[in-house]
Parts: sequence; C-alpha cells; structure tokens
Amino acid sequence: MSEVWFVIAGYGVIVGGLAAYTLALGRRLSRARQASLRIRGEVESATTADVGE
Amino acid sequence: MSALRRHATIALAIARKDALAELRGRQAVGSTIFFAALVLLLFGFALGPDSGRLAEAAPGLLWLAIVFGGLLTVARLHQMEADDGALEQLALYPVDRRAVYAGKALAGAGAMLLLGGLLFPVVAILYGVPLGAAWLPLAVTVVLGSVGFAAVGTAYAGLTVRMRAREVMLPLLMLPIVAPLLLAAVKATVAAVAGDPFGELGAWLQLLVGFDIVMLIAGAATYGFLLED
Amino acid sequence: MKTRILGFAALLAVAAATVNGLFIVPADLNQGDAQRIMYPHVASAWLAYLSFGVTAMAGIGYLVRRDLRLDAIALAGAEVGVMFTAFAIWGGMMWGRPVWGVFWQWEDPRLTTTALLLALYAGYLLFRRLTDDPHRRAARAAVVGLIAAIDIPIVHFSVIWWRGLHQGPTIGDPSKILNPSAPPLFVLALMGMLAAFTLVWGYLMIRRYQLARTEWQIEEHGRLGRISAARRSFITESITEEAAP
Repeated sequence: MSEVWFVIAGYGVIVGGLAAYTLALGRRLSRARQASLRIRGEVESATTADVGE
Repeated sequence: MSALRRHATIALAIARKDALAELRGRQAVGSTIFFAALVLLLFGFALGPDSGRLAEAAPGLLWLAIVFGGLLTVARLHQMEADDGALEQLALYPVDRRAVYAGKALAGAGAMLLLGGLLFPVVAILYGVPLGAAWLPLAVTVVLGSVGFAAVGTAYAGLTVRMRAREVMLPLLMLPIVAPLLLAAVKATVAAVAGDPFGELGAWLQLLVGFDIVMLIAGAATYGFLLED
Repeated sequence: MKTRILGFAALLAVAAATVNGLFIVPADLNQGDAQRIMYPHVASAWLAYLSFGVTAMAGIGYLVRRDLRLDAIALAGAEVGVMFTAFAIWGGMMWGRPVWGVFWQWEDPRLTTTALLLALYAGYLLFRRLTDDPHRRAARAAVVGLIAAIDIPIVHFSVIWWRGLHQGPTIGDPSKILNPSAPPLFVLALMGMLAAFTLVWGYLMIRRYQLARTEWQIEEHGRLGRISAARRSFITESITEEAAP
C-alpha cells in the first residue's frame, strides 16, 4: 500500500508544518518583546541624559 | 459632462507629454522592441529548428515576448518621471488623480500597442505563422491585451518606482497578476489563427474585456494613494 | 492569557481531528486511504482564502482609517495565508499522485489558481520588506493586497474556461470527493478538521499581529533613539565650539 505513504507525507508536512510555524512564531515574538523592552530602557536613559545636560 | 471632458483633456495631455518625451528622447521604444524581437529569436534557438513545433508554440511565445517588453515599457514610463523629480510635481497638480492615472495608462497602452503591432509580423516571418488572414480578431486581441497590461502596469509601476530593488519587484508582483491576461490573449490568438473552429474566440475576448474593466477601475481607485506618499 | 487558552484548545482540536482523520473515519470506497488527505487539504485551502480576504479587507480599512493596527492585521493575514496555501498545494499533490497518477494536474482550476495565489502573496510579503516608512509601506501594501484579491476570481474563471472550452474534463471533479457511500461521517471529519484548523488560524493570527505591533514599536524606538543620539552629539558639539575660542 504505497497510498499510505502519501497520506503520512500529507499529514506529516501539514500538521508538522503548523507546529513548526507556531513554535517559530512564538520564538520570534518573545525575542521581539525582549528587544522592545531593552530598547525602551535605552531610549529612556538616553532622553533623561539629554535633560540632564 | 464638463467634468468628464476636463478629465479627458488632462488624461490626453499627460499621454501626449509621455508620447512626446518618448519620441524626442533616447529611442527607448526602439530598444524595447528590439529586445522583444530578440527574445523571439532566442525562443527559436531554445526550441530547436523544428518549424512545426515553432508554429504551434508561436502564440504563446509571442505573448510572452509582449509581456517581457511590456514590463520594461511601463517601468520606463514612470522611471522617466521619477528621474527628473517630475512625479512629485505631477502629484501636486490640483487635478483628479484618476485623470492622471488614465493619462499614464493611455500612454502605456499606446506603447504596448506599438510593441504588439510590430512583434506580430516578426512572429509571422520567423515562425511561419499565417497571421494576415485573421488580422481583425488579432488586432482586437492586441488592443485588449495592451489596455489590460497597461492598466495593471501603470498602477504597479507607480507603486514600485520609488522603491529599492524595483527592477525585480515589478515583474515579481506583475507576472502572477497578468497570468489570466496571458492565458486569454494566447487562447484568443490561437483561436483566431486557426479560424475559430470551436467558437471560443468570443469567450476569450470577453474575458480580456472583463480583465481590462476590473483592472482599470482598481487602478484608478488606488493610484491616488500611490502618488500621495 | 486568553490567547494561551485558545492555543491549547487549538492544539487539542488538531490532535483530535488528525487522529479522527487518520484512524477513525473509514477509508473511501473509490479512493481508499488517499481520501484522508482531503481533510487537512480542504481545511488549509479554506483558511488560505479566509486569510487573503482578511488581508484585502484590512488593507482597504487602512486606506480609509490610516490606522497601523489594520496594517498589522493585513500582514498577519498574508503570512498565515501563504503558509496555509503552501499546505493546501502540498496536500493536493499528495492526494493527486495516488488518485490521478500525477502530482500536478494543469487542467485542475483549483490547483492552478492556488499556485498563482502563492506567487501573488509571497510577492506581497517580499514587497513589504523593501519599504521602511510604516505608513508608506502600509498604503502600498494595501494596494498590492487589493489588486491581488481582485485578480483571484479572474484567474479562477480563466482556468475553468481553459479546461471547459477545450474539451470535456478528463478527470473527476474534486468536489465529488465526499463519496455518497458514507457521507455523514466524511462530512463530519472534514468539518472537524476545519474547526480545528480555524482555531489554530485564530491563534496564529493573534500572535502574528502581536509580533507585527512589537516590531513596529522597536522600529519606532530605534527612530527615537537615533533622534536623541543626534541631539546629544549636537549639544556636545556646540559646547566644544563654545569652549574652543
């Protein structure tokens, strides 16, 4: 039954692809949030430095 | 009525300006047509010397050459505005943006028509296809195809003209959009050359008309947003 | 937190629908096991169309309201839609090989339309990366998304005619996959898969939207950072100039 292999390939790529995209998206999101927090801190310290001068 | 006439006057003035710039300019039209003819010659090399196969593939190759040449044509019509900073001035004119779009599309359609009109004899000679007998349906096909291509091309050239990597982005965005136009134009050409044995010519021409109308409306509605930025 | 609950629900639903489609629903009489691929295939195609509809609508909304949140929704729709389109094509190929004997059937309007769809929206995503100004990018992308959406029905009709005008269809219509031998079970399996995929779609759309908003904030902060850096260097320069003479 070679048909079964096509079924496995079809489900494997689609369901596996969904999982992979979801995980990658989660990683991108958490990285972006960290970067956002870090940059916000830098900007705030930079603007207070401006005021100080 | 008078508003419509005023818009038509503006559109004609813009189209005339583009045509004059092309005619007095650097003979860019000539080099585009030469490029498209060269593409046709290379297709001949790629498909080998079998003249039967070449004649069979001729309509498809012809329209591919028109599409490639057309990409250069519509890109240039906006590029020459952007190079001189004229696009900003065009955007500042207190006229309806749809009239500007119509003018640019008219100029594009004219250039495409010239391209198509000159490539047909090239195909007839190079690939040995008897095109002369069915000149009327072929002329209609070329006109409809040119208008449709210019309708999409004007909007997309306006979109990409001030972008990085526009030479790649314009074909990348446009080729999938014009796929139904290519299909309908090739099918209409095949049907016209064969004397329309299955009576399908009318259907393909209708599809071309539909494509032209939809894309002209879409382009006119969105062109203003592109000039703004 | 609510999004996380949605994510878990989607995970469970996909797992259940997959087990159901693979092991519980009986095989089709004509197509055998190959028919099982139809469940995720049809569900993917359906969500791809939904995503691109969302992209077009959000784009129009942006042009009217000039709200960058709508542009983030358009971006989310395009990216998630491209992924589902790719899945739909893959599923179609894996179904076509055992049933039709070929991976790719040029005369099938759906397959051909879907392939062009992938090209259209992959181009949309590439296009977005080449413009930096957020509002300029949003307006241009809205136009691209709108014209692409308008093109889809034209493509579909042209390909149907391509087959229809030429000669009678040589291959059975894919819409007849729901074989009448056991329709309720098959329809139920398809609906279950569709519901599960729609949950995943909602979760991914929210997450992609959040990512777009966060990235936009980073861009904005970067711009602010550059401005304050320029100000600082200007102040330092003017101080040294005053001190020089």
